[in-house]
Amino acid sequence: MATAVQTRAKRTFRIGRLIRPAIGVVVAVFVLWRLYTVLASQSFGPDTWVRFAISGLVLGSVYAVIALGYTLIYGILFMINFAHGDVMMLGAFAGYFTLEAFNGAGFLNKNLPSAIISVVVAFIVGMSVSLVISIALERIAYRPLRTAPRLVPLISAIGASLFLENVAQLTFGVARHTYTNPEVIKRNIGWTLMVGGKEVLVAYTGVLTFVLSLLLMIGLYILVQRTKMGKAMRAVAEDKDTAALMGIDVDGVIANTFAISGALAGAAGVMWGLHMGVIYHYVGFIPGIKAFTAAVLGGIGNVPGAMLGGLVLGIVEAVAPAALGMPFQLKDVLAFSILVLVLIFRPTGILGEVLSGKKA
Amino acid sequence: MNVRLASREGLLTGFINLCCILLGLTGLAGTMVGGWFHLSSRQPGAWLLLLGIAVWGGVRAVRRVPDPSRNKTLIAGLVAGVMHGLTLAVSLWLISTLLDAGAEVRKWLVQLTPEAIRLLTFGLSPVAAAALMFVVMTTAGLVGALWVRASERYPWQRTLSKGPTTVRTRFLALPAVQNFMQRKHSQQILWGGGLLILLFFPFVLGQYWNYTLGTVGIYVILGLGLNIVVGFAGLLDLGYVAFFAIGAYIVAILTAPAPHGIMMNFWLVVPIGIVLAALAGVLLGIPVLRMRGDYLAIVTLGFGEIIRILSKSDALTDFTGGPRGIRSVGGPGLFGFDVSSEFYFMYIIILGIVLAAYVTLHLQQSRVGRAWMAMREDEDVAQAVGIYTLQYKLLAFATGAALAGFSGVIFASRNKFTGPEDFTLLVSINVLCLVIIGGMGSIPGVVAGALVLKGLPEILRQLADYRMLAFGALLILMMIVRPEGLWPSTRRQMELHERAEQSGEPDAGSSPETGP
Amino acid sequence: MNILAAHKVTKRFGGLVAVDALDFTIPQGSIVSLIGPNGAGKTTFFNCITGFYRPEDGSLFFNDVSLTALRPDQITAMGIARTYQNIRLFANMTVMENVLVGQHTRLKTGMLGAILRSPRARQEEAEALEKAQEMLRFVGLAGRGDWMAKNLPYGDQRRLEIARALASKPTRLRDALGLTILLIEHHMRVVMGISDRVTVLDYGVQIAEGTPAEIQGNPRVIEAYLGRGAASGLGQKTAVVAAAA
Repeated sequence: MATAVQTRAKRTFRIGRLIRPAIGVVVAVFVLWRLYTVLASQSFGPDTWVRFAISGLVLGSVYAVIALGYTLIYGILFMINFAHGDVMMLGAFAGYFTLEAFNGAGFLNKNLPSAIISVVVAFIVGMSVSLVISIALERIAYRPLRTAPRLVPLISAIGASLFLENVAQLTFGVARHTYTNPEVIKRNIGWTLMVGGKEVLVAYTGVLTFVLSLLLMIGLYILVQRTKMGKAMRAVAEDKDTAALMGIDVDGVIANTFAISGALAGAAGVMWGLHMGVIYHYVGFIPGIKAFTAAVLGGIGNVPGAMLGGLVLGIVEAVAPAALGMPFQLKDVLAFSILVLVLIFRPTGILGEVLSGKKA
Repeated sequence: MNVRLASREGLLTGFINLCCILLGLTGLAGTMVGGWFHLSSRQPGAWLLLLGIAVWGGVRAVRRVPDPSRNKTLIAGLVAGVMHGLTLAVSLWLISTLLDAGAEVRKWLVQLTPEAIRLLTFGLSPVAAAALMFVVMTTAGLVGALWVRASERYPWQRTLSKGPTTVRTRFLALPAVQNFMQRKHSQQILWGGGLLILLFFPFVLGQYWNYTLGTVGIYVILGLGLNIVVGFAGLLDLGYVAFFAIGAYIVAILTAPAPHGIMMNFWLVVPIGIVLAALAGVLLGIPVLRMRGDYLAIVTLGFGEIIRILSKSDALTDFTGGPRGIRSVGGPGLFGFDVSSEFYFMYIIILGIVLAAYVTLHLQQSRVGRAWMAMREDEDVAQAVGIYTLQYKLLAFATGAALAGFSGVIFASRNKFTGPEDFTLLVSINVLCLVIIGGMGSIPGVVAGALVLKGLPEILRQLADYRMLAFGALLILMMIVRPEGLWPSTRRQMELHERAEQSGEPDAGSSPETGP
Repeated sequence: MNILAAHKVTKRFGGLVAVDALDFTIPQGSIVSLIGPNGAGKTTFFNCITGFYRPEDGSLFFNDVSLTALRPDQITAMGIARTYQNIRLFANMTVMENVLVGQHTRLKTGMLGAILRSPRARQEEAEALEKAQEMLRFVGLAGRGDWMAKNLPYGDQRRLEIARALASKPTRLRDALGLTILLIEHHMRVVMGISDRVTVLDYGVQIAEGTPAEIQGNPRVIEAYLGRGAASGLGQKTAVVAAAA
């Protein structure tokens, strides 16, 4: 009997080992073949590729900032904060009304400093609103469920997401709102690059988004790694009970985490508005899901991982459909396929899933 | 200290009240109450809501007082009322002044119609209206304090959370019920009785209810399938809709005249749909089931989206009909009769539910079901007792997918149509919610969950635009008050005769049936 | 005859060599204890036997069948069962269900049999139930079958874990006296009282092997324990591998 078990075991073991390389080879052959056909047909000039890459980079950096919030909360509570995208949406609306107000008062385009002040204030208002909502969310919908089985907070989060979306729909209506950018950073102006004899526009809003997201990531990294608050967060992520025994206020730390992730979502919302232009009550949903995908892609619980995951996802979305000669509407299919592939070969994401803890 | 806490409660509830006004909930309350009592004015209902929240603020403030002597209680209520009143009065004054000045407040607060404002101001000047609001709300806070003093607090929270369980245990403890349960064929009799009642259902119900309950029924089948994946095996699948879509598209492609004209018989398509959906489950499962919980969640979510986008994409339009979907999906026939009306479909759905419940129940109480549950509880130990986890995960995935494919076939055939917008992420989320609301791993729970989840929006229809808002809030509330679900799973008693032998230990098996 | 034979088993975690070229045998029907200070590599070795770790080097044989390529569930199917240092039951299943799961590898009912409740499946289920009840009586948990495992008091949870481990044996209980046990235990009185032979590990290397009496007098063992303070002997950790051929 024993030998029978063993031979069967050996066979299944071998098949199991073959799956990954087989998938790898198939995917690689497919990608190379498509890439070759597309490049050989020369349907896109170099300027188009650069344009794709830039738009992917900007989109990716917005994803990254949202993903940072997911990663923080997941790292500490091991819960998917489904309502995070909607927190971003409300931040976007807050920024929108701020800019509207400045515009209505004639301040927005008075001169360059006034434009800068307006945008900065819009960011501050958007971040604060999202921060408050995020904290309220934790207080009302998640804290009472801290000890419940893991799926229970998920359902609560889904409820919160529906609630917030409908609050936005009821107060702001279903109409699409267009962000009023200051004249100096209109969405269609920026630097021009010359690529292959053609002009490629690099919008100022895109640059702003990219730089700001990098700054936010670095700031967050320093906060988590270097400050006392960050140390407390890491301790709580490791082991809540022990952290509490060490005199850390676990509830406070979790509230802080939600505050930070909310503020990041608010910033992402304003960035989205400034760069993409259009917001509506449902605007947080897709970016929210993409950002969670990005967080998993990079290794959930890992701050640089979320950033990397966001950028990879954004670029894949923008470049891959063209590179593989597929219709652009399949970009989400490619985005999720990348996720599946990465997880097959690196089950804990690109950078692994350590929440900044043990290695630091 | 108490003053600070009380004023905080006042501010908080005041803010909630303000939100209700801005969201238009106040107006809604006015319309609803007006409708019930056939009033011509919306004011009573609106003020009922406002006052209710203010009184609640007073109650909350009093509960913060550690030693409730008469004066302290009243002071706490008064403070809360004052803060509440201030919040509302200032906002009301601000809003009405802005409106009088001609500001376009409605551009971004769409609910603030002049009529809604008049509900609150009675047409008074901003200052007078604010003063009125302040006085009324302060009084309401005081009333809240008096209310607490007057009544011993009724433990409604406990009743709400323990109620259904208590009713059930009491019912099961009745001697007649106990006698019945001890009989040999009690299970079969119960099932048969239930089935008989179900068979009369479609006659009694009209077309509308047959359709609505049919939808509920389809969700029951979906829920039973996902219950195997999430409730038994503990695998979080957020892309369950994919298998539903596969079933629906298979019946559409194989029976509809439009893109392919295969026009197969419905009854032949049912097994094909089930098998192909199960196969899709296995194919998805092989690469992803090695992943841990939440990775699985996001990957399955992605898979669901992939299926939807593909079904809608231009690349597959010839095959799936693209965004327009497939029309004239074939219905079932029986001995030459067309039986594809809502009425007959109700029977098909009932049959489907019974089949699905039968399969689930038998699996749950077998070696397979136990292996799933062991895996859910502790994967390492499950492996250590000899369970080949990958195989059992695949089995769970395939069984769940098969049931989803089955319900997809019924769904598309009943609607005579299938299109990509039927298969959004929201379907997956809805099914997951109904499984958890019903009580994970519990078969009657799935039915209860489906009734609540798909039935509640129908009941909440009166709330019109506020339906989904209320639904979201109820989901949160439900999780907080009763996280184990409406009808949590109970375990079959497997030791009946053992206990009869051991009459010396009367209390042995009776106490802890389900955990807290 | 040796039921279990390990030859030069080595398990590394990064640079740390947790088990270093360990040779180890368990004769059929004996009770062998594995002791050593905390971190000596006992549990790592244990996990190598039960298939949760794959040793980098060396070979492991159970009844002359190599274990090194097998998954934990396949190893269990061959007749090795384990319990855990800290009790690991299926908390949200009943006591009876826990024992029934323990019989998993012995039963054959598959999907179809379970759904249709074929006569064979029914008979198998009835026998399994009967055997489970026998196990529960044996460990003193009769009458508690319908309790949730998590609601049992600690001592009863340990009993249940043993019942679950015993249930995986292919034989009926009364034939099961040919049990072979590998015991990892910090409580010296237990070890010295019941073991036929004792092996002492330190830093992944075997430092002594012999009868309890020989071990008690061995200066290297005393040094390994006392040299770093005697505290490690105080914890009551137990882990058992029971094997029956």
